[in-house]
Amino acid sequence: MPDNRPFSQWDLSPIPVIAFAPGSHSVLYRNSAAMPLAPDTLVEGLTGPESAALCAALDGPYEAPVFLHVGGGVYSLLPISGSDTVTCLFQDVTAYYNRTRDALDQALMASQAKTTFLSEMSHDIRTPMGAIAGLTDIALSQPGSPTKVSECLEKIKVASGHMMSLLNEVLDMSRIESGRVQIQAEPTNIADLLHEILIVAKPQADSGGLQFVLEMGQIARENLVLDSVRLKQVCLNLLSNAVKYTPRGGRVEMSFAVLPAGDDAVTMHLCVKDNGIGMSREFLMKLFTPFEREEKSSVHKIQGTGLGMTITKNLIELMGGHIEVESETDKGSCFTLDIPFAAAPDPEPDSSLRGCKVLLLDSDNKQASLTLSLLKELGMECDWASTAGDAVSYVNDCDIFGTEYQFLLAAEKLEDTEMTLLLSELRNRLGQSLPILLLTGSDWSQIEYVFTRSGVDGFVPLPLFKSKLAATLSSHIGGAGHKELQAQVRCDLSGLRLLLAEDNELNREIAVELIGESGAQIDCAEDGRQAVDMFKESAPGAYDAILMDVQMPVLGGLDATRELRALPRPDARTVPIIAMTANAFVEDVKKSLEAGMDAHISKPLDIDKVLSTIDSLARGRQA
Amino acid sequence: MREYQEKYLKNLSRVFELNSLPAVLPPAEEYLAGLPRRAEELRELSEENTAMLRRELFPLLDNIITATGEDIANLEKFAAAMNHRGAYLDLVLCHYLHNAIITYARHWHKRDLLIRHLYHGAMTLFYMQDIIRRADRTDYNWKMSLMFGEAASYIKEYDRIEDMETRGYIHRAMGNLALAYSGLDEADGRRKQAAIRRSLQILEDPVYHEKSPDLPWDLYLMKTHQERTTALGLLRTGFVDPQIQREVMESAEYVVDGLRRGQNGSIPIRWQYAYEAAQYHCGVRPLSHFLSWLENVYMERDEEDYSPDSLYRNMFVPALYASYLEHDPDMVYSKKYVLSFMYRRLENYVRKMQDHQLSEATLNNLLACLQSFVEYPDGILEKDFIMTLVVCRSPDSFASSYIASQIAQMMVQKALEDCPEALLGALGHDSPEALRSHRTELELFVHEACLLHNVGFLAFSNLARRIGRSRLEEEENLIRCHVYAGAKLLAQSPSTRPYVNAALGHHSYFDGSGGYPREYRREEDPNVMLTDLVSAAIHFVRLIEGRAEDSGGPMPLDAALEALLSEAGSRLDPQWCRIINSLEPKLCAYLPTAQAEAYDVAFLLLRG
Repeated sequence: MPDNRPFSQWDLSPIPVIAFAPGSHSVLYRNSAAMPLAPDTLVEGLTGPESAALCAALDGPYEAPVFLHVGGGVYSLLPISGSDTVTCLFQDVTAYYNRTRDALDQALMASQAKTTFLSEMSHDIRTPMGAIAGLTDIALSQPGSPTKVSECLEKIKVASGHMMSLLNEVLDMSRIESGRVQIQAEPTNIADLLHEILIVAKPQADSGGLQFVLEMGQIARENLVLDSVRLKQVCLNLLSNAVKYTPRGGRVEMSFAVLPAGDDAVTMHLCVKDNGIGMSREFLMKLFTPFEREEKSSVHKIQGTGLGMTITKNLIELMGGHIEVESETDKGSCFTLDIPFAAAPDPEPDSSLRGCKVLLLDSDNKQASLTLSLLKELGMECDWASTAGDAVSYVNDCDIFGTEYQFLLAAEKLEDTEMTLLLSELRNRLGQSLPILLLTGSDWSQIEYVFTRSGVDGFVPLPLFKSKLAATLSSHIGGAGHKELQAQVRCDLSGLRLLLAEDNELNREIAVELIGESGAQIDCAEDGRQAVDMFKESAPGAYDAILMDVQMPVLGGLDATRELRALPRPDARTVPIIAMTANAFVEDVKKSLEAGMDAHISKPLDIDKVLSTIDSLARGRQA
Repeated sequence: MREYQEKYLKNLSRVFELNSLPAVLPPAEEYLAGLPRRAEELRELSEENTAMLRRELFPLLDNIITATGEDIANLEKFAAAMNHRGAYLDLVLCHYLHNAIITYARHWHKRDLLIRHLYHGAMTLFYMQDIIRRADRTDYNWKMSLMFGEAASYIKEYDRIEDMETRGYIHRAMGNLALAYSGLDEADGRRKQAAIRRSLQILEDPVYHEKSPDLPWDLYLMKTHQERTTALGLLRTGFVDPQIQREVMESAEYVVDGLRRGQNGSIPIRWQYAYEAAQYHCGVRPLSHFLSWLENVYMERDEEDYSPDSLYRNMFVPALYASYLEHDPDMVYSKKYVLSFMYRRLENYVRKMQDHQLSEATLNNLLACLQSFVEYPDGILEKDFIMTLVVCRSPDSFASSYIASQIAQMMVQKALEDCPEALLGALGHDSPEALRSHRTELELFVHEACLLHNVGFLAFSNLARRIGRSRLEEEENLIRCHVYAGAKLLAQSPSTRPYVNAALGHHSYFDGSGGYPREYRREEDPNVMLTDLVSAAIHFVRLIEGRAEDSGGPMPLDAALEALLSEAGSRLDPQWCRIINSLEPKLCAYLPTAQAEAYDVAFLLLRG
């Protein structure tokens, strides 16, 4: 019988205690608390590594904690070496161990994801970097080909833009993780915010061949206190994902509302829905985990870091809101977010608008009804024309009965007529002082030139908000805005030098005066011969375009063009030549083009058409 | 007028004459033998006119701002001479002239001249719109309205305008504002009536009568009331509005009373119709009574008489009759023998009609007949009716289509023998066996598609036959609308509906890189392979006959086949180009006698 007396102190201890013989590892003592550990077969019952760790602890100096899985629990071992025994105390650390293990697992997973991300990022960064480097080399090797250089620069711009967005997302994520992102709320007009979002998102959808639908809900307040930069980032991320993951021909819908939520408080509701490739149930669980992207071929073809949704969710939560997602593979996704905001005071509309009369041109019944109701709220009277014929009819009525419109509001497109043609005619008829404003969801800077040439003074952004409408109308009341813009439009050809060949002195004077207003420098020739001589004597590239009458004494426009094109200097083949003639037969147009002219404008001249033709040809050449 | 202008107008008359069928129809061989001489003369006249305009007119238009008063007066005369009571010898050139004068008048602030030519310019647009309306287009409407409106707006300066004639133009322009509303829908109808109400208000204002006592106020009022009765077109569609019904009745009464009091007291049939129809639409008389009245009017027709009144009776009354039946299926059935009789008689009437009798208004009546055509299971089919019209108005066009139809049938036969897969899906047949067993059906389809594809050109035939010079861009755009007009006409009846796509798509390119119109969508055409086949056959005949764009005259067979191949894959479906090429031996045998055969068929139809 073994002598247990030296261990009797442990008999009643709640801590399992087992005493082993050094070397043989046979059990010399176990207290009752140790019985569940099956002490006699403990060493054998353990897994290989744990058994070895236990033996090492019994045999040698105790260096590191030993954790043993026994039964359903985890025990840490505290060996106390005696002269002929090693007494081991087993502490149940199951809960602690599990917590630690989970943390370790997470750390390992994060490390793994970061490793994968870094490898993918390095690929993603290297790809555009490779393109940038390669294209730079190509551009440097082609100094004599401005077209090639320009093509390379365009591509470099695209590649660097992509790289920039990659880096921005990584930096954002890093800032969020380290708690350095702060929401900077300030009074913001949501009309502006929405317009800024749409002018980015809509062209993306257009270029992806998608139908973009905006559904406006209730707008309880127009001015909110929010961080416009971060909110825009959130919205654009959801929209650009919808565009990216929806195949050509699909549809992206965005619904937007600002709902009342108590005194001076609102909830902004945004829903972005697409009918694209959607997500699997499994991936939805990991959607907001950093660096995660779904494993499917259709996703791999699309550039992305897997950070966007994490950043989005974090930003929404920082703003106090929440986001929900529903999705099904190959059916599409729907993201819904609700964010509470404080409302800022809405400014009072300009009372001078009250009683003003507006002619509205819009074939979209829904949009027109909204515009009409907002105009009514502003106390304005409105005639609504849904076709060009209606518009002309209203204008005729006004003219005949001596009444007047104070504003003309026009949609960008009309069902039955090219809007620019109609507006141009209406501008001529209604005079220069009537403000003509365009209702548009497009980026104004992209369409400004075309529409200002047709007589448009400014724009009201869509979706339409009362404050924005009132502010734009107020700023144009009395038509002051138009005159300013009119001057700007006429200055658009500044920097260009033109050669005008026209035999008729008065025609020449008129052309010089009208075209000259646009800022272009004009040299005149009285016939084709003089024009050819002047061109010959000029420095290469001196003229940006030549305006050529066709019927001229000495040398006609067609022959002059042929001579010019045959001159042995590089710009002779590229300088745009524009025919200006009353010869309007189909074959005349053809003859002009065959002689080497680039465009054919019929007389009597429409000066807007002349200016736009010069602009597009001459600036196209410069580009 | 200047010498060149007189010569130009004379040449235009000759061009019209050459483009018209001879009063007495010669034997087909004789007609055919005269074709090259006629084509040569037309070419010479066209070249002469084009050169004259280039030399004499365009330099003046080029520098219109510096034109002298004498030049402008001469242009006014020239423009006026081209317009014979709304029948324009050269409508589009006339429009150009008015525009040039408007530019001059605006520049030099010549108000009266501006008002006159805004009015005349708008009138040219009205006639251009009247033509393009046949293709359901409204391209010129708003511009016309804008010009009439600008002229009418000078009513504000009425007292400062001393010239009575100019004041007259202001009133006329105001009255014509209603012309912009020609649509048979409620909105247009209401706008039109509102415009007329406004015009009548001014025309009936005694203050204006006092200010301008020399103006023909009665005529203005009569014209305005006549215009108001055109709302009957809207009422015929089933539209009900008590105010418009009452106004139409008032105006019909006014017109009839006025005419009765006139020089000879006779009332043209169209105003009698307006009166009777107004009575019906206002509920004074029942439909059965009104239809009986139309039947009686019709029975009093003279089939040898081509006066305006008789044209109306023979051609427009059947259209009216059919359109009133349209809303009552029982009536459509019970009157089927009456309608069939009318159509048969109409066919004969049109057959004998001389080209100079086919004014734009008559053409409108004829097209109205096609547009309201009612087909009965055992009655006359619209497709046969249309073919007769096509051959009557243009045997040359019919002959070309006929040759194309023969070649198209050869193509079907060849495809069924060598590559039936080219026809898979045609007329719903999805296997080579099914296609082969429906060979006759396929051949008939392409034959009729070729004969009917260009029916839309009928709507533009009066305009086209008057063009005695190179085409202006505006004319090119106008004439291109014939594809819409054709599709619209063929969409009316079950017998013609299958050929809508052939009419719409025969100028569109196979690869979408060119051609027109955009509205033809290959992917929506259930018989796209047959449309492609027909387009290839038609284009091939155009090459052979030298009617293709940039054509240097008729092409020999080998050159035409080569030209066809050069457009394979772009303009035309390559498989049909290959098939036409593989038919070379057959074509060698067929083409030498093709024209004679085609004209024989045409003249047979023409003579009834």
